[in-house]
Amino acid sequence: MNMYLHELKAYRKSTIIWTLSLIAIVVLFMSLFPAFSRDAEDFMKVLEGFPEEFKKAIGLSFDTLATILGYFSYAFLYIKLCGAIQAMNLGLSIFSKESRDKTAEFLFTKPVTRTQVMTAKLLACFTSLILTNLAFILAVFGTVSMVKTEEYSGQALLMISGSLLFLQLFFLGLGVFLAVLLPKVKSVITISLGTVFAFFMMGMISSSTDDEALRYFSPFNYVNDYYIIEHLRFESSFLLVGAVIIMMSVLTSFLVYRKKDIHSI
Amino acid sequence: MNIMKREMKANLKSLIIWSIGVLAMVIAGMGKYAGMNGTGQTMNELMAEMPKSLQAIMGTSGFDLATALGFYGLLYLYLIVMASIHAVMLGANIIAKEERDKTAEFLLVKPVSRAQVISMKLLTAFIHIVLFNLVTLFSSIIIVERYAEAVTVTEDLSLLMSGMFLLQLIFLLLGSAVAAVYQKSKKASVISTGILLVLFILSILINMTENIEMLKYLTPFKYFEAATILNKGNLEPVFLLLSVFLILAFTTMTYRFYQKKDLNL
Repeated sequence: MNMYLHELKAYRKSTIIWTLSLIAIVVLFMSLFPAFSRDAEDFMKVLEGFPEEFKKAIGLSFDTLATILGYFSYAFLYIKLCGAIQAMNLGLSIFSKESRDKTAEFLFTKPVTRTQVMTAKLLACFTSLILTNLAFILAVFGTVSMVKTEEYSGQALLMISGSLLFLQLFFLGLGVFLAVLLPKVKSVITISLGTVFAFFMMGMISSSTDDEALRYFSPFNYVNDYYIIEHLRFESSFLLVGAVIIMMSVLTSFLVYRKKDIHSI
Repeated sequence: MNIMKREMKANLKSLIIWSIGVLAMVIAGMGKYAGMNGTGQTMNELMAEMPKSLQAIMGTSGFDLATALGFYGLLYLYLIVMASIHAVMLGANIIAKEERDKTAEFLLVKPVSRAQVISMKLLTAFIHIVLFNLVTLFSSIIIVERYAEAVTVTEDLSLLMSGMFLLQLIFLLLGSAVAAVYQKSKKASVISTGILLVLFILSILINMTENIEMLKYLTPFKYFEAATILNKGNLEPVFLLLSVFLILAFTTMTYRFYQKKDLNL
């Protein structure tokens, strides 16, 4: 319990800053929606004159993009990027800081097992991500209801914005796994930014090529916002793959961490 | 000289990884061009009708998408984001890591002044970003030329890359200035990447709405845009001056503050 509270406190400031920045992105993007929707309406009329194959070729359904949910999905891409960095940073930092800050000796001479340490730390990460997501979803619903021009499906909005937690858990797991696996993590942000951006690029490539196989390698595309808007459900195969990867990374981390050689100097 | 050799080696691995990343980006991006070749002409007609905010969302404002070079303009945005992240982290880390890794004592008791240390480190970082820039330039020339069919692209690409180089310099020195000014050196790379992300999102917002056009002087991402460079055939003098000013200001800050810095040991 002490460890859990200590970690929560240690990451309180960074959680607050990340949460506020996520909210700021939502507010900024959504405040531009009224102007955007006027533009989009004019443009829809132009688009009607173009052949059907062409509309497919550019690979964007403007009908969806012009609605508030479609616009939100666009802004959500950047939110996902930030959220992924937050989660990966958190996981990577919380499990590597003991040896980086030379506090490993202090912690591991306490009468607690490594499994207990790890559980407490993971719970702290989880709590901080949940809090971020709750605040984020509230902010989303607040701003969207303020700028909306027409009715939208609240369920779809909840599903899209809720998928941030899923993505964050994925990157949390990955961060924890890397922190446990690597002998020493000198700079957290270098590794987390690199990994997140690599996956992000992979996601961009996979969504532009429409390659189903490649999509399994890009967690950013596990949840397809446009699919949700149309069908109001997740694609279960990707959800399953994501869940399995999260479980695997946490479980292996437990196994490795219990026997890890931790440098105390 | 020894400091330079040491730093060259220490940052070599990350340079190689980033170069591979940028190479992959160019290859994958131009591969996409090959995929949509043929729809280019209709695409242009459509783009001409598209309102500004929609163009911003698709990232296509002002390009002739029927040509390989115009399409490369789309890609340029991602390349400069990658290059500036590399530069800002390099600048922040190269200064801050001595304190982070507790090697500052070791380094600064050597018979070299702090100014010399900074000069050596900045010089090394400078060489690294030149290398990064050259890798991008040559890979772009080779790959774009394959698609460009008998049009010479070297000149335009070199111009684009010189814009990117100025951005890299600005961000490199921004990173080092943050590391020199800020007391907690551990946070230096986090803060400077944070500033970079804020500037990037600001540039996206400026693209989407005309009301905040004035803010474009605040974010370097708006200084050298592919569309303006390709259409006008030169870098805009106002922004050129502004960049030189920023570079000089950050360099002075780095030297001034580091020489008086109370090192955290």
